[in-house]
Order: sequence, then structure tokens, then C-alpha cells
Amino acid sequence: MSDAQSSILQGTLDLIVLKTLEQLGPLHGYGIARRIEQVGERALIVNQGTVYLCLVRLVQKKWIKAEWGVSENNRKAKFYTLTKAGRKQLQAETANWERIAGMIGRVLRPATGS
Amino acid sequence: MLAFFHTIAARIRGLLRPNDLESDFDQEMAAHLQMAEEDGLRRGLTIEEARRTARVQLGGVTQLRESWRATRGVPWLDGFALDARLGFRMLRRSWGLTLAGGLAMTIVITIAAVAFVFLDEFMGRTAPPLDEGERVVALQSWDVQAHRRRDVSRRDLERWVATLQSVQDLGGFQTIERRLAVEGRPAEWVRIAEITASGFRLARVPPILGRWIAEGDEHAGAAPVVMIGYEVWQSRFASDPAVIGQTVRLGEILHTVVGVMPEGFAFPVNHRFWIPLRSDPSGSLKAAPEGAVFARLAPGVSLDGAQAELTATGLLPPATRAATADARRPRVVPYTFAFTDDVERGELAWQQRIILLLVALLLVPPCLNIAILVYARTVTRQEEFAARYALGASRGRIVVQLCVEVLVLSSAAGIMALVLTRPILTQIGEIIRRVPQLDGSLPFWVDFGFSWRAALFVAGLSVLAALIAGLIPALQATGRVLPTALRSLNSRTGIPLGATWTALIVAQVALALAALPSTTELAWGHLRPAVLGPGFAASEFLTARLAVDPQRVPAAEADLPAFTSRVRTLQAEVIRQIEAETGVSAVTFAAALPGAEPTTLIEMDEEILGGRRVRHYVRANQVDRTFFAVFDVAALAGRTFDGRDFGATRTAIVDQTFVRQVVGDHNALGRRIRPVPAPGTEAGPWYEIVGVVPDRPANTSQGRMYVPSLAGGRGPAPPIELTLHAGADPAAMSRRLQEIGTNLDPTLRLDNVRRLNEVYGETQMSSNLTSYGLATVTLSVLLLSAVGLYALMSFTVTRRRREIGIRMALGARPGRMLASIFARALWQIAAGVAVGITAALLLHQKLNIEVEGGWHIAGILPAAALFIMIIGLLSASGPARRAVRVDPTETLRDG
Repeated sequence: MSDAQSSILQGTLDLIVLKTLEQLGPLHGYGIARRIEQVGERALIVNQGTVYLCLVRLVQKKWIKAEWGVSENNRKAKFYTLTKAGRKQLQAETANWERIAGMIGRVLRPATGS
Repeated sequence: MLAFFHTIAARIRGLLRPNDLESDFDQEMAAHLQMAEEDGLRRGLTIEEARRTARVQLGGVTQLRESWRATRGVPWLDGFALDARLGFRMLRRSWGLTLAGGLAMTIVITIAAVAFVFLDEFMGRTAPPLDEGERVVALQSWDVQAHRRRDVSRRDLERWVATLQSVQDLGGFQTIERRLAVEGRPAEWVRIAEITASGFRLARVPPILGRWIAEGDEHAGAAPVVMIGYEVWQSRFASDPAVIGQTVRLGEILHTVVGVMPEGFAFPVNHRFWIPLRSDPSGSLKAAPEGAVFARLAPGVSLDGAQAELTATGLLPPATRAATADARRPRVVPYTFAFTDDVERGELAWQQRIILLLVALLLVPPCLNIAILVYARTVTRQEEFAARYALGASRGRIVVQLCVEVLVLSSAAGIMALVLTRPILTQIGEIIRRVPQLDGSLPFWVDFGFSWRAALFVAGLSVLAALIAGLIPALQATGRVLPTALRSLNSRTGIPLGATWTALIVAQVALALAALPSTTELAWGHLRPAVLGPGFAASEFLTARLAVDPQRVPAAEADLPAFTSRVRTLQAEVIRQIEAETGVSAVTFAAALPGAEPTTLIEMDEEILGGRRVRHYVRANQVDRTFFAVFDVAALAGRTFDGRDFGATRTAIVDQTFVRQVVGDHNALGRRIRPVPAPGTEAGPWYEIVGVVPDRPANTSQGRMYVPSLAGGRGPAPPIELTLHAGADPAAMSRRLQEIGTNLDPTLRLDNVRRLNEVYGETQMSSNLTSYGLATVTLSVLLLSAVGLYALMSFTVTRRRREIGIRMALGARPGRMLASIFARALWQIAAGVAVGITAALLLHQKLNIEVEGGWHIAGILPAAALFIMIIGLLSASGPARRAVRVDPTETLRDG
């Protein structure tokens, strides 16, 4: 892993995948990986395979569901969709993230806050 | 939390269909790579570049697959499956270990499983298989001083029925025997439960025909009724649907059949006939197993609650004894417990645990043997473990792998044990069924079929065996192997067998030798009767049991002499009539059949006078004056019984084994013997030995004493065994005897007609089982010792291969070479033999082998020592041959 790329904090990949699916609707693994690369300007993840491990975990937790479908290029691909439980989880995780990020921000930049 | 459970469920589903998920994963990866390649092509890459970039971006399909498997399944279970597969492979490769270790484990686990099922069924089961069986209890009169259950007086029973609130359906039963006469069938004696009507309410099993016994049937004046079991209905009434209302004669009374109970119903114990327990305030109910007071706990009441109320209610003082001397206390126990031994509840649980612990401890010797083998094998596999260690496997992981390998073996042994347990228990069940009180069937709650508890117990033993045989060597071997793992990969320096293992091998040889003489003598003692035979033509003799209905024995002492005299006249008449039958050449009677005499403890007067109270277990029989003549036995010294002996004098005749065991080199004639009195009772009379006879039968291990029949006996109530020297057909003779008995007196019971050799065959069954069991255990110990020594020798050769090669290349002579290589192993065998001989001598001294049913074999110890040495040397010979065949150039090249 290069120093320029930051590894994703434990658990945040789940949040990013859930958010991606919320924004873009049903999407296959490759699409999700590409989307994360675009948004994170290739700095967020080292390899795309990590996304699949994350997808397995989320399916197991029933936060997303997977179905085989046909891609935009007319190829068979597995599509992932956010479930109702996943949407609720996303809201909770987002609120949590914002709270922690705000707190860390205040710790790192105390002068601007006062 | 919900997500957690979803994950667990998904992982379990993943375990159940791994192939579907694998194929799903492959398709998804293929689709991903295809889309990534197409993207690359669109960005202007060449096809090779696009393909390579797609793979690099994905991050390696193999690693991803491993991570994915870990995420979707249960990683430790996958690891376990892999270890189990490796275990199977190792078992195939190390077939010596598999055979010897597997056999030893199977034998021990089978013994343990049989003991478990037996104890569980007879002692552990507290709830009979009835509706809410766990709430069915027995109320007892418990003698706290004598530690015995006593009869319960009918007055107490009636008082309990009237007053106790904590129990319902309270009632009682007792077993009686009556002659059953059904029209068109020969009369036979059957066991009948005299039972209160409440027993059927308690059992909650409706009849398939007719009705239960009702309270009204218990009244003294009520018409006699009987209920029959399904099996009786089938066999004696040909499943006649119109059986209700028919009459059968039980003893002298006609009973009307009022109900038929369904198949398998045998409450209260193993009964198939039920008649009402008539009200009788002066009587009492026999203590279990012949009788019991039963009840069902009232809703919401615990056993302790019922006990508290029963204690408060108490027992009425006995009519004949002072209340102050009364040590009886009422107690409530789970129903089936009432039929186990005379023990407190806590005691029984402890007894059971201790027996099971001892049985489980039997696993230790074979498992330690296997541990030696596993250790030797593990050390030779150091390169495999070193490689795994270098690749990142932890020591714990390797230990688990070794334990799982042994678990595969012990699990296979466990499965074999479960398979074997069933037929062995069936055999034991057959033997138990022959106990006269059981009358051919076990208590209805005893089921020797498959039980999950037994399966769990066996599984637990398999795991325990794997832990003993796998964990110790795994920890020892990995502790030594792993720190030097990588070094030893190249240097091939051996890892020595430590002092612990040397001690174990010495102990193993010693154990095999220590046990061998005693087990051989025990096995021979049990098998000998079958091999030698009784020493006379037992098939020429028919036996029958002659008994008087115990109900007819007068309760009053004053009436006994007249009754005894009448029964003796009847007996004499029976014998006279049987002798008159065609084909019958002689008839005699005895308290027990020759060979089935009860064992008793006796003492001799000289020994008491000499200050030494030496006691001996012998078999004792009461015989009539024709006994010795019928069995064609002449006195070797002194005389046999004649008219003088059946009067006031107390005389005894002993056999040759008795003389050898008890009297030794002295003259037996004129010496006096008597049974050792039970503690607290007065000593019985002395008997003077007036004759010595040959052993009859000649194949038993204990000495025998005969006293004249009825000498000192209270009366004729106990059954006597008639023996007929006759070639008649048992079935025909059985019918004839029944007729003779019935014609003389309907209360006479003359049955159980069998040939004497058949009786011997049946009694021999349990002895055969014992000797086969002993032989199997001994053989498995020997086999394990042999394989252990073989493994040790093989290991020594492997370890010193390079050294052997060099010394052979330098011209060492094979003889010297062998002596040098195997000095340690030979020393171990010699040390083991020395310890074993000492232990065997001690064991032999402590264990009175003849009392235990064994038979002394002269010279058994040196023969056993020689045998063990030969086994040890034979085990060593294979690896020894390999050692001297080592090719020096090959070993030097390998090194």
C-alpha cells in the first residue's frame, strides 16, 4: 500500500457501499468499486476485491440483497440493492460518522472553532 | 444484534451449500474481470494490458477467494474438516497404529458404553415411560439402621391413602404366583400383580378391551376378576375379541377376565396379569421388587414436599416389636429408584458416578499406549510441521491438527463401540431375564435400545480418548519440534524420545506382563467348564423344580410341623410316582442343582482353636440320601449319606476341590465346619465331615460341601430341585410331571423341566461372555504393547539412519550394530519384564484367583514373561532387519 493512499478505516467501507447503493440504486460489484474509486479519486481503496468481501458481509447482515441480472453491456452480473434494514443502518451510520468526524475535526483544529 | 444473528445464519447456510456459493463467486469474479477488461479496452489499452490491469485492480483472485471463504463460512469448522481429512489419510498410512489403537479404543469404549447403558437403565432412570412418569413415586418403609427397605403394613397403606394430600392415585401391589388353568391349554404357573385399582389410574393407560380393575373389586366379597396383558391375550386366548367375561382358574379360584391391557404394558414391573389387591388390614405389602406402594405427586408438589408430609404422617408402630426399637422411617423416592439396590438416593448417584469414572479410567492405559505411538509418529513428521510452522501456522494450530487426527481414530472406535454395544446388551439382557424373579422379562422401564444419552457418553469418551492420546504427544512434540523446526529441516538431527516415554514403555510392558497371568487364569477359569464339561453325561438327566405355593405355608409357628410333615409325605409320593414312570431309572432331590449351588462362607473349628480364624468361600448344597447314587458318585474316603445322617446328627460330605482348597494336606474326615454367621446373628451348628467325594460336576473352581437335606431348615417352603435319571423327552415329561403334581395336590408346583446339560449351557453363557471379554482386553493390551515396541524400534532406526550408514560403511558388523542400536529398547523390555514379574507376583498374592472364578495354572508367570519377551523381540525384528539393510551411500547422500 502506498503512503499516498489511505486505507479505509475499519467499517467505513460498509458505510460507503451502502451510501453508493442509496445514491445509484441497484448496482453490480464492479460498478460499486468503480464508483468508490471515482468519488475517492482512487485514494480510498487498494484493490477492488475488498468491495466483494464487504458485499458478502452486508448481504449476510441483510442490509443489502443480491440478485443476478443483466448489465448495461448485456452481460450477466450480480446486482446489489439496499434493503429497508440497510437504509435504516445507513442513516444510523451516517449520523454516527458525522458526529465522530465533527468531533475529530474540532480536536484537530481547535483555533478555528473558537 | 439482529444483524449478528442474520450473519450466523448466513454462515451456517454457507456451510451447508459450499459448492453453490463457490460457483456463484466464480461467476461474479468472471463478470467483474470481463467488465474491467472492456473498460480497459475502451480506455485504449491492448487486450493483454486490459486483462493484466483488471487482475491487478481486483487484487488476486486466489487470495480474494480465501478471504471470501473465511467471510462466508465458519473458518474453524473448515479447518476442522481439513484436519479430519488429513486424519483419515494418516490413518490409512499408519495402519499399525490404526489397527492396534482402534481395536484397543473400541474395546474400552464398548465396555464403558455397556456399563453406562446398564447403569443408566437400572440405576439412572428415575422416570418410568408413563405419562408424566417423572411425577410417579414410590413410598417406602426404610430401615435407617439396617439400611434396608421393609415391608409396608396394609394399615399404613390405608392410612396414607386416607390422609396424604401431596400425592394422588396412591396404591400398592405385590407379586404372587398362581397356577393358571385356561381351557384347552396345559396349566402353568404365572406371576400376577395383586394391585389396587388406583394403579391403573396412575399409569393412565386405557385397556384395549373391557375395563380396569375397579375399587369395588377390592372388597372381600367381590367377584374375583383378572386383567390380562396383550401378550397373554394373544398367546393364551388366540386374540379372542370375546375374551371379556370368560373365566380362568388362578390357583383354585375362578376369575372373570374384565380387561385387556395394550401391548407392552407391564406396570408395575413386568406383569401381564393383574388381580385386585383385596383389603386385608392385618397383612403387609412385600418390599420391592416383590411389592411396592406407588403414587403420583399432586400438581405443584415436589418430592421434598411429599416427603415432608409423609414424615409428618409417619408409620404405625409394628404389631410385634417395641416402638422404641423401630428404626423404620417412611420415605418417598422416584418410582424406579424403589427397585434398585438398598441405598439412599445420593449414594446411588455417587455409586453410579464412581463406576462410570472407573470405567472411563480404563481408557487411560490404551490411550497412553496410543500416545506413545502418536508421539513417535509425530516426531518423524517434524519436517511437515516445520514447513507448516514456517508458513505461519501457530503451534496451537498444529496441536489442534494432531488432536483432530487422533479424534478421527477415537470417533471411529466410538462408532464401532455403539454398534457393538447393542448385541452385547442383548446377550446380557438374555442372561438377566433368566433371573427367576424376573420370569423372562425385564422391568418395563428398562430399554437396552439405542439411547441418545449413551451416544453422547460415547462421544464424550471419544473426545477424552483423543485428548489423552493426542494432546500430550502433540504438546510434547511441538514443544520440541517447533523451536528447532527450520534448523532440523536441513540438519536432520533427531529428536529424542524423552525419559517420560521410556518410563511409559517400561510401564506398558510391565502392565501387560502383570495382568497376563491373572487374566489368563480368570479367562480359563470361566471357560474351563465349557471346555471340560461336567464330567458326567448331563444330557441323561432331567431336572424339575418342585415347590409348594408359598401362600399355603402357615403363618403360625405351631402349624408348621404338621404342614412340613404333610409336604414331606407329598414329596416322597411325588418321587415314588416319578420313579414309577417308564424311562425313569432314579430320582433325587437337592436344594440346588449340581453346579448351581450357592456360594457360602464357612469356617473350620481347628483354625478357630488355633487362634486363626481362616474362612473359605465354598459352594453348599442340601441333598437327599440318594443324591450320590443317582449321580454315580462313590466316596473316595469315608462314606456317603445314609439313614444316620437325616436325624439329629450334623454331618457333611465334601468334594476333592474342597479338600485341596480348605483342608490342604490334612485328613478331612472328622474335621468340623460351619457357615460363618451373619453379623449380629448366632453361629449355626457345626457339621462333621464324614466323607470325601469326587467333584460333581468336575469343571467348577470352588470346593463343595453337602449336608443332608432339610437339616436345620425351617420347612419345605423353598423350592427343591428334582433330578431324574431318564432319557425321556423334556416336553412330554413336563406335562406328565404337571399331571402328577396336580393330581396329588393343586398347590404343588412341578415345573421348569429341562435337561441338565441345557441348564449348564445357559449358566455358562455369562461365563463365556466374561472369558471372551477378558481374552479380548488381554489381547488388545498385548497387541498395543507389541505395536508400541515396534514403533519405538522403527523410530530408533529412522533417527539413527545416518549414523548406521556411516558405521556400516566403516565396516561395522551387523550383530554389533544391532546390539548397539537396540540396547536401549532391549533394556526397556528387560526392565518392563522385571517390573511386570514383581507386579504379577504381588497381584497374584493379593487376588484370590479361585475365589474370583479363575483357575490356577502352574508355571503361568514364567510362561507369560517368556511370551512378552518373544512379543517384544518379534516387534523389534522388523525394524532391526531394516536397520542392517541400510544402504550407506544412500544415507550419506541424503544427509
